[in-house]
Amino acid sequence: MTAVDPVSVEARLRDIQSITDAALSRLDDRDLLAELLDRTREVLQADTAAVLLLDFSSGQLIATAAAGLEEEVRQGVRIPVGRGFAGRIAAEHRPVVLDRVDHTTVMNPILWAKGIRSMVGVPMVAGGRVIGVLHVGSLTPRQFTSGDVELLQLAGDRAAAAVQSMTAAADRGAVAALQRSLVPSALPAVAGAEMAARYIPGSGAVGGDWYDVFSLPTGHVCVTVGDVAGSGLTAAVIMGRMRSTLRAYALETADPSEVLGRLDRKMQHFEPDALATVVYAVIEPGLDQMHVALAGHFPPVIARPGQPAELADVRTGALIGAVPWTRRPVTTVPVPPGALLCFYTDGLVERPGEVIDEGLDRLCRAVTAQSPEAACAAVTGALVGSEPARDDIALLMIRRHAGREKDADD
Amino acid sequence: MTDTSFPVEMVGGVPVVVTPEEIDITNADRLRTALLEAAGHGPGRFVVDMSRTQFCDTAGIHALVLAHKRASAQGSEVRLVITGAAVLRIFAVTGLDDVIPHFASLDDALAATSASTEGT
Repeated sequence: MTAVDPVSVEARLRDIQSITDAALSRLDDRDLLAELLDRTREVLQADTAAVLLLDFSSGQLIATAAAGLEEEVRQGVRIPVGRGFAGRIAAEHRPVVLDRVDHTTVMNPILWAKGIRSMVGVPMVAGGRVIGVLHVGSLTPRQFTSGDVELLQLAGDRAAAAVQSMTAAADRGAVAALQRSLVPSALPAVAGAEMAARYIPGSGAVGGDWYDVFSLPTGHVCVTVGDVAGSGLTAAVIMGRMRSTLRAYALETADPSEVLGRLDRKMQHFEPDALATVVYAVIEPGLDQMHVALAGHFPPVIARPGQPAELADVRTGALIGAVPWTRRPVTTVPVPPGALLCFYTDGLVERPGEVIDEGLDRLCRAVTAQSPEAACAAVTGALVGSEPARDDIALLMIRRHAGREKDADD
Repeated sequence: MTDTSFPVEMVGGVPVVVTPEEIDITNADRLRTALLEAAGHGPGRFVVDMSRTQFCDTAGIHALVLAHKRASAQGSEVRLVITGAAVLRIFAVTGLDDVIPHFASLDDALAATSASTEGT
């Protein structure tokens, strides 16, 4: 820090501005990354620039975007964390400057085959962890300065933010697509009953709630409603697996406790970290009774004609994934003609700081033995209102026709 | 805003995680991290002192069950201290009474020898 050269200060400010330019954020994330690589290459007067992103499942860095080094991306170059130049940056969480590029310092043969002589790379950090590496290379030997490293880190931070936002958008899109594909597009037609359902995504990260209803070859009607702990893509994927597993076991045994037991064993073996609550109900072909088992899930509500609705008196068993071996009690609930059954997930009834019974009471007051569509509307009106729910909500109503009134509802 | 930190104290050589007044979707992630850290102390029991906690939602319940699972897998054990009526209620409604041993005071939780002999 001796004499400050005003020309170089000005040039440096221009460089910083080029990378932090607000106009960049008007580009979509993928274009932003490409533009950022071009500008980085320009301000550092480098010949190549590349972004490698960390794939957390394999622990490898994967070449994702490049300028002047496109073959790296096209060939899908993968570098294990801890090895080579980029691997070292990711492992040590700090910039690395290389003034010799050969097989002893760099793993990727494309780089030395291309004739790159000097390199500098920085970690891309988001949420306190390394998500990738940004590096630039020069075809002529040069010594990258600490100023170069700072500029590159600035670009790395910007790139990390773009990647983060890209990943979040992709996750949200995938979760929404998964939810759409899994929530039944049409509820099955069951003689003597009608149904309606809602899935309401939460304002937080959406994910793990589902409802499902299907007929068995025996004429029984099966209902499953559940909630996988956690949120986002992971919870949604587990939800999808649980839902189809339940369908498979439902075909094999009529005992709700046995179905939940098999589901639990399957989950604990293949998804040992998963936790979920599930209500599993089998309604007799004549619709006059229902057999229910609960895995840590709130009991269904039943509204009999002319009576206030109440929670079905069902004993709860352990959550799926909680204990190695457990048998959940099965309760038989009589379903008189005209009665309405309401299945739901916790997002419908839980409110911050409130005893759970208050939410359950509120639900019971809102449910009446009417058409399922009207009942769904009444319940969501009373319990969800216009505030976006924090947690996602699944809601399913089934009503047994009241004798002659069979055709009265549309 | 109530206190939402999860201090870990050592009481007679046993790690004790103290939970705040409210546990919900907004702090359940941090609770899970704190519990998994306590579960990672190695074999032996640890206590989650929830006597200050007046409210716990299903997100909090999931964090507790996950810690219980992790501890069991390592031959260790989680014990809870629960006094709040709302917390006891959510435990009953979600069927956890039979899953995780819980006690009415920290002394009881520390004194009890083994969950298998508790008959909770």
